[in-house]
Amino acid sequence: MIENSKLPPAPDVAGISLDGTEIYVISVEENAELCASTGVAPAADGCAHPIYYYIATQVAMGKTVAGVCNVCKFDVDDGPMMGSSGVVFQKPLMVGVPYRVKGKILGLVRKRSRKLGVMDVLTYRLSLRDETDAEVLQTENVWVLPRRELA
Amino acid sequence: MSYAVGQELPAFIIESVSAEAMKKWAVFLRDPNPIHLDVEVVKAKGLGSRVINQGPANVAYVMNMLLAAFPGGRIEAMESKFVDNVYAGDQLQAGGIVTGVADGRVNCDVWLRADGQRLVISGTAAILTQLVL
Repeated sequence: MIENSKLPPAPDVAGISLDGTEIYVISVEENAELCASTGVAPAADGCAHPIYYYIATQVAMGKTVAGVCNVCKFDVDDGPMMGSSGVVFQKPLMVGVPYRVKGKILGLVRKRSRKLGVMDVLTYRLSLRDETDAEVLQTENVWVLPRRELA
Repeated sequence: MSYAVGQELPAFIIESVSAEAMKKWAVFLRDPNPIHLDVEVVKAKGLGSRVINQGPANVAYVMNMLLAAFPGGRIEAMESKFVDNVYAGDQLQAGGIVTGVADGRVNCDVWLRADGQRLVISGTAAILTQLVL
């Protein structure tokens, strides 16, 4: 077993941009379908389900899930796992409004866990912005990338 | 409506997690990871014998619990830690307890449990209950 101090370093990915180029709009129809899939009715006031904080930022950030894994030198087929997800809303998400994403990778830390063996912990931050470039929300996500080849 | 520290929030229950809904979430998320879609892949990876629900869908159940518990309120912040997987067919219960009340804001500990016991999400949330329009 390789000790923590002797593990090869994780790829240096801190600061890589996740700025998106795609405009993301939550449609009335998809919001209704999503709400139904979770057992609730859509809001009558035009607010989208707040879980779109995650969906909108993931879909409209500058890299796909596989692309983010790729810059971390991790094969998406090896199974990235969600560690945690946090969000702070400045205002509610609305259907029919165009949003853009700005963001970056904050860090990739290699460590050993008793449960998963060697793993890289990826942290990235995304900001969802409206047409005036005002921030609607900020989210910070942590993924666990198991490095079975280093176990 | 008033809230007090220690007050338990009404549970939000999903009687059985739907594999069909996972197919929809794969489209919502534009993420075709087969562990959510193909039970044979789940078995081959040694992850169990049922397809695995997408993590954000699990967060959505907790959000539903909060929105029902605070009518007219708005989620200001939320932190979710993913502790375990949710599988197709699981019965889920989202719950919470008030940990702080001040200045039109209620803070809560929140959680999601599968089949009455297994913790799958733990977290915190802040709810704005007095919205300035």
